Amino acid sequence: MSSNFIYSNRDHKFILKEWLNTEKILNFDAFKDNYEMDDIDMILDEGLKVAKEVVAPTNIDGDKIGAKFEDGKVTTPPSFHKLYQFMQENGYGNSQFDPDEEGKLPTLLHIALEEFFNAANPAFHPYIGLAKGASNLIELFGTEEDKKRFLPKMYSGEWSGTMCLTEPCCGSDVGEITTKAFATEDPRVYKIKGTKCFITAGDHDLTENIIHLLLAKCEGAAPGTKGISLFIVPKIWVNEDGSLGEPNDVTTVAIEHKMGIKGSATAMLSFGDEGTCRGILLGNPPDENGKAEGMAQMFVMMNGARQGTGLTAMAIAQAAYNYALQYAKERVQGKSISNPKGPRVRIIEHEDIRRMLLFQKSIIEASRAMIMKNSYYIDLSRYSNDPEERKMAQRRIEVNNPLIKAYPSDMVWQTTAEAIQVHGGYGFTEEYPVAQCARDSKILSIWEGTNFIQSLDLVGRKWRLDNGKIFAEWFKEVAESIESNKDLEGFAREYEIMSKAVGAYREIQGFIAANFAKNIKIVPLYSTRVLHATAMLWGGSLLLEQAAVALQKIQELGENHFDYPFYQGKVQTARFYIRNIVPEIFKIAEIIKDCDTSAVDILEEGL
Amino acid sequence: MNIVVCLKQTFDTEAKITLDAGGKIERKGVSLIMNPYDEFAVEEALRLKEKDGGEVTVISVGESSAQDALRQALAMGADKAILVDPGEAELDEYATATILAKAISGLEYDIILGGFRAIDDGSAQVAGRVAEILNVPVVNVVTKLEVEGGKAVATREIEGGSELVEVALPAVFTAQKGLNEPRYPSMKGIMKAKKKPMQKMTLGDLGLEGQVAAKVKALSYSLPEPRKAGKIIPGEAAEAARELAKLLREEAKVI
Repeated sequence: MSSNFIYSNRDHKFILKEWLNTEKILNFDAFKDNYEMDDIDMILDEGLKVAKEVVAPTNIDGDKIGAKFEDGKVTTPPSFHKLYQFMQENGYGNSQFDPDEEGKLPTLLHIALEEFFNAANPAFHPYIGLAKGASNLIELFGTEEDKKRFLPKMYSGEWSGTMCLTEPCCGSDVGEITTKAFATEDPRVYKIKGTKCFITAGDHDLTENIIHLLLAKCEGAAPGTKGISLFIVPKIWVNEDGSLGEPNDVTTVAIEHKMGIKGSATAMLSFGDEGTCRGILLGNPPDENGKAEGMAQMFVMMNGARQGTGLTAMAIAQAAYNYALQYAKERVQGKSISNPKGPRVRIIEHEDIRRMLLFQKSIIEASRAMIMKNSYYIDLSRYSNDPEERKMAQRRIEVNNPLIKAYPSDMVWQTTAEAIQVHGGYGFTEEYPVAQCARDSKILSIWEGTNFIQSLDLVGRKWRLDNGKIFAEWFKEVAESIESNKDLEGFAREYEIMSKAVGAYREIQGFIAANFAKNIKIVPLYSTRVLHATAMLWGGSLLLEQAAVALQKIQELGENHFDYPFYQGKVQTARFYIRNIVPEIFKIAEIIKDCDTSAVDILEEGL
Repeated sequence: MNIVVCLKQTFDTEAKITLDAGGKIERKGVSLIMNPYDEFAVEEALRLKEKDGGEVTVISVGESSAQDALRQALAMGADKAILVDPGEAELDEYATATILAKAISGLEYDIILGGFRAIDDGSAQVAGRVAEILNVPVVNVVTKLEVEGGKAVATREIEGGSELVEVALPAVFTAQKGLNEPRYPSMKGIMKAKKKPMQKMTLGDLGLEGQVAAKVKALSYSLPEPRKAGKIIPGEAAEAARELAKLLREEAKVI
């Protein structure tokens, strides 16, 4: 399948050069000597070329050969080795995570490249991607010695990273973890004992060492998440001078046999079977009340991983859509409903096929708009010279984060389903690539905090953060953006729907605020739908902004310009999303206000 | 060792070719790439430089969009670029070669490389003409190149085999597929590319203003006939083969 991997960077160019203020980002001190606006095309073009020609051909190996566990060792397909080396040597790998890297790309551009690579082989990307969060944690919370000891080889790609949270007994319930850390004579070094499971890239043969960032509880730590500490636990011990020591008593018990991303090794790891596994504590040990720092630290990594999850979902959705679009343009079946005596037509000429295609396209582009807009805020939050602006951007990211994790990763299952449907019976076979897209995508709604956890994060935390001010600012920005497009020509009905959606959303918030104290169960019962409503409102407002840019462009270029179909496509995509998807918000508002509780009222035996 | 690489920007191999209202090839909205055979030439130049040191200059004749192809070569590792804008001059192989040769004659060079042909017009003439004007030898369709002590040994494809040619430098070599595997520009390479010198010249700068004109004029362009749908012969293998033979004989008239 991979040989005909189809992908375009046209929407990315539109977003970076015409919609978002990328110039502002490139003018920050971190980038101004290295990048200008006219570098964008080359970076996107070369990145896409690498995705097509170097990354995509390995996708089939990931699915057909997969990661293997034999004689206690995990192996990855041979083509993954070559690819890993290529990505590291050419600056597409871990070096991008080094804050001091010369020529480090802004997030806005880097995220676009990551999208191409993820679409081309979603099972490969974790081997690089996980080093991002792991190195970032050491960069933020490690001592100078830790940084010298671990980071150079993590940034060079010689060592990879993981995040070890989940245990057989607890995934979402991370506060219940049983992995223990025992103090030693060295106040920073602890003995580690416990078992972790579902560890992505937890063991493999691509690097000489793997640096696990592991959650464990020190003796005497408080129960629950409060008592969790974070440790650097290398697979092979790293001496203080950065050289490799003895194996660190980290054993791979098994790897999972999964429905998708089979090339990504998902390991169960046992730490300290022999009692010699050591870990280095990041930050301080638990205080006198047993309160530790690990969970807050780990959230830095989790936030990045959640953004990456939404990105992968969107990338897979786009790849599946591209296959469906191509198939629809080639497959001849049936006749036009308005010309039943005419010739047989390509299925792209059928109304329902178009509905399915635009359903996918509009959700993908809404998701990309959210992810890219959030990346813009990430760059502001890190690189702006204005501390107020940095703070403002950080506040937006707080709200964006659960949305961009959960919405794309919920929707990719629906969009790939439509991509399969467009293929008819062939879509159900493994001869066509869309089945793999669906299989590869399913994990994304589950890992890095299930999408229900994201919805609780939104409703339970982000709505209320800083007394609700952070969400209120976020909401105001969305509402103002919609208002600013009030007079957009030909978009009166779309504006009306969007502004009604703002009202419906306020009703949802008001209802839950007024009623959750009476029945707390309505929060978890409806939070998933609230998250979707939030994402659709935001996505609709962003696509409306994009439509405004596209309409302006059409005026300038005219309908005979070669790029007219792209801009007309942007306009129709925004229209479809607002007219066909956004009205779900009204339904959600009705359902929530109706506040049916049958799902909790039904007897377990009646289920 | 100073190496000059002539390169051309061409349509993307995946581009859909159409004709505009005037019957010429539509250039608008078509994505452009470095001619793939020129990529082999750039790669070979970089390998020679990495082995023996020296400088790689890439040169192209074209409008400003051709800068992108030159920049790709700079990102791959070439040291400097020259873009000659032909202005209003009509170009054919003769005119392009004349301009390139004039520009190259102002440079120091030991080796001149180029693709053996461009994938758009496929004339395979320009490099040979450049060699002729500069009065240096040319070895075409090279699949291996070894340079040592002012001489080069080139392996070139010939009908049914290959030929080893020894030639004194300076000389022109044209690259064939198989010469090497071109590298992808690294992120660092892309970033550094725009800090490398890109010299823009006009025909006036070369003293050629009004001096070059195409000798060949394309009268018209036409697209190939769309391929007709194939025919599937159903039924048992033996029966279908009989039917196939019959159709090949009576309908296609090929046997």
